[in-house]
Formats: sequence, structure tokens, C-alpha cells
Amino acid sequence: MFRKYVFSLDHKVIGLQYALTSLFFLLIGFSLAVLFRWQLAYPGQPVPIVGRWLGELNAPGGVMLPEFYNQLVAMHGTIMVFLAVVPLSVGAFGNYLIPLQIGAPDMAFPRLNMASYWTYLAGGLVMLASFFVSGGAPNSGWTSYPPLAVFATLGQTFWLVGMFLLIVSALFGSVNTIATIVQLRAPGLTWFRLPFFIWAQLVTAFLLLLAFPPLQGAAILQFADRVLGTSFFLPSGLFVGGQAVSRAGEGNALLWQHLFWFLAHPEVYVLILPAMGIVGEIIANNTRKPLWGYRVMVYAILFLGFMSFLVWAHHMFLTGMGTIISAFFQTTTMIISVPSVIVLTALLLSLYGGSIRFNTPMLFALAFLPMFGIGGLSGLPLGLAASDIPLHDTMYVVGHFHYVVAPGTIFALFAGIYYWYPKITGRMMNDVLGWIHFVGSFLCMNGILFPMLILGLAGVNRRLYDGGMQYAHAQPLHGLQVGMSYAAWALALFQLPFIWNVFASLKFGRVADVNPWHATTLEWTAAPTPPIAHGNFETIPAVYRPAYEYSVPGAADDFVPQNSASL
Amino acid sequence: MEIPYTASIRPDTGVTNQKLGMWLFLASEVMLFGSLFSSYALLRSGAMSWPDQSSIVNVPLAAVNTGILIVSSVAIVRAATALRGGNVARFRALMAATATLGIVFLAIKSVEYRGELAEGLRPSTNNFVGLYFVMTFLHAMHVTGGVLVNLFLCGPGVNMNGHDAARFLGRVDAAALYWNFIDVIWILMFIVLYLL
Repeated sequence: MFRKYVFSLDHKVIGLQYALTSLFFLLIGFSLAVLFRWQLAYPGQPVPIVGRWLGELNAPGGVMLPEFYNQLVAMHGTIMVFLAVVPLSVGAFGNYLIPLQIGAPDMAFPRLNMASYWTYLAGGLVMLASFFVSGGAPNSGWTSYPPLAVFATLGQTFWLVGMFLLIVSALFGSVNTIATIVQLRAPGLTWFRLPFFIWAQLVTAFLLLLAFPPLQGAAILQFADRVLGTSFFLPSGLFVGGQAVSRAGEGNALLWQHLFWFLAHPEVYVLILPAMGIVGEIIANNTRKPLWGYRVMVYAILFLGFMSFLVWAHHMFLTGMGTIISAFFQTTTMIISVPSVIVLTALLLSLYGGSIRFNTPMLFALAFLPMFGIGGLSGLPLGLAASDIPLHDTMYVVGHFHYVVAPGTIFALFAGIYYWYPKITGRMMNDVLGWIHFVGSFLCMNGILFPMLILGLAGVNRRLYDGGMQYAHAQPLHGLQVGMSYAAWALALFQLPFIWNVFASLKFGRVADVNPWHATTLEWTAAPTPPIAHGNFETIPAVYRPAYEYSVPGAADDFVPQNSASL
Repeated sequence: MEIPYTASIRPDTGVTNQKLGMWLFLASEVMLFGSLFSSYALLRSGAMSWPDQSSIVNVPLAAVNTGILIVSSVAIVRAATALRGGNVARFRALMAATATLGIVFLAIKSVEYRGELAEGLRPSTNNFVGLYFVMTFLHAMHVTGGVLVNLFLCGPGVNMNGHDAARFLGRVDAAALYWNFIDVIWILMFIVLYLL
């Protein structure tokens, strides 16, 4: 019983554990945003309904204190990136689908897989526990820049411990993913017959494997700064609150930024690559055509993975790094935009001439394309030092990366949930509710995020507790803040049909066929739906053809499964 | 259904799952220790003054420790060779020797720490002493983990050799890889933190 559902070694159960936990964290992270949007729209007014439950220390009389606002924003970022989106796209989708798509009985190391989930859960709980310690949750932003973070309240120590655990979990997961993809591919499943999703997961796993440990090293050093009184990140002659700091000094605050962004830029691609993989699967399936430029897409993301280690300092143009180094990093940044454009272009061209089926997963996958396009293109001015200097730390930056991650990655994850739900449960999700969820989310997302770009171009800083009301240049634009907040609250309401759909379809959903989408990949054609508890396949399938043999001339159906020997 | 290539080599990749997994783990460890060595380089090059390292830390003891780890690396490689040749008793003796040498390393390391703490040195003294404590302690944690695994392999873990010899040999090979890796890391630390 415990072995089966709690401490399970089966990749599908672990994948679902990851999915439910990370969706829970997604909801928490989003709720924090729903809460602090009130403060941005109506600064200084008591929060309605929930205000009195926030506690006198955080919000006396329901009015949010600046420290509490900082906690909400810092934890919104931390939870969304490290506890929601990465575990959902890698832990849940990767775990569940990789063995099924490559024809393997399980992941290569089932015990390591279980350890990965439980370490992730422990890290998440440590992060959440920080809300209840003295001084509250970490309040130095999701980037935890020192010296601020070194002198922050106790919650920051929890952040460091939680992050350490999450990185260990990512290490376990990524070793497992790479070993599984390299070693356990079914006979005949050569590298260029792999679904694009598998390639995306493989590159992502390498980024997790190699980019996370430097942040682990940095977390150890910051932990020493906070607990052992070292001064790795503390320069000499530092004053805090008018008092000289009695530390040895001679440290370097920028060292943290280098180590942090050495992780966090590859992290951006950890966030986006699995989403591209999901969208690729869904577009090929619903256009009934092979992906346009499959090989080029694969080469593009391999190059992307490599380059992502060479761009980190474009987050640091304002640190006085000098023109030669900023010229280097803005050049690499321009280069790394090319493979993303290749993937997006290939996905767009895949639509050309297809007879597109507009089902719910496809709607989300199609929305991904322009949304990721806006996100990516709005990043170009940030990659050039000259235009980054005025835009740095404004709402424009917030708008840019939210366009990539929120209507980009999260829409792709929604698409994936609608698409693979019948695989997991044997039942379809409701299309009407899915349509409401899609249209509402699409409109509200843009209602929140597009004004951010406008505010940022007007020079409104991103870390203002009152939404910029104290600045003359921000006051005329304050109406946008109000509108964005209403969009955020409406977005929350539009998630209700989705939550209902996920749970109600378990019971009321239409029973799905073995292969409801008429797909070609192994998880639909070789394995039963819903899958059997252990082993995945009755016999290991043999693979005879590439991943997307749709509409092959002369074939009996408009799809030819990968494990079909004849047309 | 059994997971394939746990102990046997996949022909087109040339490795077992175990070996690939260990190499991937070590790649990640390179990045972890690499970030700390890089931090050392950046802090030292940016500092106004840097203490004379070899006058602070105990070079002779660390030199002995370096020798001990190198000998233990030889021992674990010979242990794997003995197991490959089917000589389980010799394997167990050499593996036990490896683990014992690891414990001796940790004992000497703790004598070193005690001496430094008795002199009033703390991580907060200056950034060199801080990095010295943090980096060597992280290394010592890795040694501790390796000692526990080695003890398991020459103790209760050896039972696996009876029913799945190929998989057990894979485990020993992976343990040897790891042990040699932390030996290399120590040699780098000895050079960087003690001699430079």
C-alpha cells in the first residue's frame, strides 16, 4: 500500500506525485501574486476579505507592511520557479512520459527517482515553513542578493537550506533522466527517431546537472556568511542601519551574482525547453504533419543548451563590468536568441498547410507561439547593454520574463495536461470547460502582462511597494496597475473551471480510446491506456520509423505508429 | 519487468546504467567544487591582502593525509581488480583497507581542525580561513559518504556478489570512480589551500 502510492518506485506514480505537488505550489505562488496585486493597485488600503487573517505583524488592520510585501514577492518568484514550473515540467512530465515515449519499463534508477521526489518535497516544505518563523519568509527577492540577504531575517536561512535540498533533488532527477534516455531507448529507437519532447528533456537535464551545483556552492557560502559570520559576500567598510558591520570584510557581493546567474540563466532554458517539447508534440499531432525542420530543431536546442552557459552576465550590465566584458556577453546573448527563433519558426511553419484540429491542448499550444514570441523579442533590448541600462530593474523586465514563463511555459504545461490526461486516467477532459479556461486565461494573462511592458518603458521600477505612487512619472499610469490587478483576480477565477475539470473528469469524463488523438509516439500505441501499474509494456516495443509519420502517402491511416513495421 | 543494462553493457553506448550515472554525478560534482575554487580565485585576486596560507594551516599533516588518500585510491582500484578476478576475500580485505584509510584521513583532518580552532582561528577570521573550513569540510563530508559506501560494499553489501555478480562489480567500479574523484579533489585542495 505505502510502496504503491506513497513511497512508490514506479515512474508514473512518482510523476503524478510531482504533478500534484507542483500544481499545489503553482496555486500557492499564484495566490501570493493575487494578494500583492491588491497592494499595487490600492496601496495603503486594507486588504479586503483576507486582510484580517494576514496577522497583526504582517498587516496591521489589514494594511500590508512593506516587509510583508517583500516576503510575498520574493516567495512568489522562488515558489513559481523552483517549486512549481521546474518540478512540473521536468519532474512530472519528464518522469511520466520519458519511459513511455522511449519504450522503457521504468526510469534507469527507480530508487533515485523516489529520493528525488522526497528531497523536492522536503525542500518545498522548508521554503513554506519560512513563513512561520520570526521575521517571516525571505524578503530579499528571489535572487537573494547579498549584502541584503546576509543581514535579512531568519527566513533567508530557510531559503538557503530549502534551495540546497531542491538542488540535490534536481541532481538526482537529472542523472536519472539522462541515463534513462541514453540507455533505455527501445530497439530501433535511434537518436533521430526520438520525439522532440525527449530531446528537450535531455538538454534540460544537462542544464540541471551542470548549472545548479554552482548555486549550491553559492548557497553554502551565503549560509556560512549568515551562520558562521564569514564575509565571502561582504565588502570591507559596510554599514547596515547606520552601524559599521564588524566583519572581516574583503568579500565580494558580485561573486554571488555571478554564481547565481550562472545557474539562473540556464534555468531560463530549463523553464522553456520542456515547454517547447510539449508544444512540438501537440502541434505535430494536431496538424497531422511531421514537425517542420525536426533535425534543425534538435541541433538548435543542443546549441542553445551549450550557449546558455555563456550568457549569464547579461543580467549584470549595471555592475560596472566594463565595456569589453559587456560586449562579450551582449554578443553571446544575441547569438543565443538565434536557436530560440529557429525553434519558434519551425513550429510556426509546421502549421502551414496542415488541417489543424482546434482541440483544447492545441489552443494552448497555439497560444504558446505568439506569447513566447512576445516574451523572447521583448528580451532583445535587455540583452544589449545600451538599452538594458534604462530598462534594468523596471517593470519591463518583469513583463518580459513573465511573457516567457507564464503564457509561454505555463500555457504549454496546461496544453500537456489536457493532452496526456486521457493517457493517465483513461478519460478525456471536458472541452467546453477547457475552452473557457483557455479564453479567460489568454485574455487575463495579456491584461496583466502587457501593461507591465508599458509601465517599464515609462520608467516605473519593479520593486516598488506602492506601485510607484510616490513618483510623479508613475502616477499618471497608476490606472494600469488597477486594471492589471483586476485581470489577475479574473485570472484566478478562470482557473476554477480547470481545477474542476481535472478532478471531475476522473469520474464524469468521456472514456478515452487507447489512442484518442491518433498519435504516432510509443506512449499511445505500444502501451495500454490507462497504463498498467508496473512495466509499462507487455513486451518492449520495437521501433521502425521516425516520431511523426503523419499523413504518409499510401498509408492506410493518416498516422503510422513508430512501432508499426508496415505502412 | 527488469530494467535493462543495469549490469550489462548496452552495445551502442558502451556503458552500463551504473557507470553512466556515476560519471554524470561526478560531472555535477565538478561544477560544485569548481564553483568553490572559482570563488576562491575571485576572492583572493580581489583582496587587498591575503595571508600566507602555509603559515596558518598545517602543511605536514595535510601532506601525510594526501599520501593516505593516494594509497587508498590504489587500494580501491586493486580491490576492484581482485573482485574482477573472482578473489572475494582479497577484495574484501582491500576494500576494508580503503575504508580504514578514509577513516584515518578523517581522524587526521579532525586533529588539524582542533589545532586551528585552538589557535583561535574561526571561519569568520578572514576569507582564507573561511574558505579553508568550508571547502575542506565539504570535502570531508564527501569522504565520509565514500567511507560509508566502502564499508557497506566490503560488509553486508558483498552478499549481492552471490546472486548478481555483474551488478555488484558495477557497484564496486562506481564506488572506485567516486573515491578516486574525491582523491583528485583533495589533491587540488592541498595545492590551492595549503601550498599556493
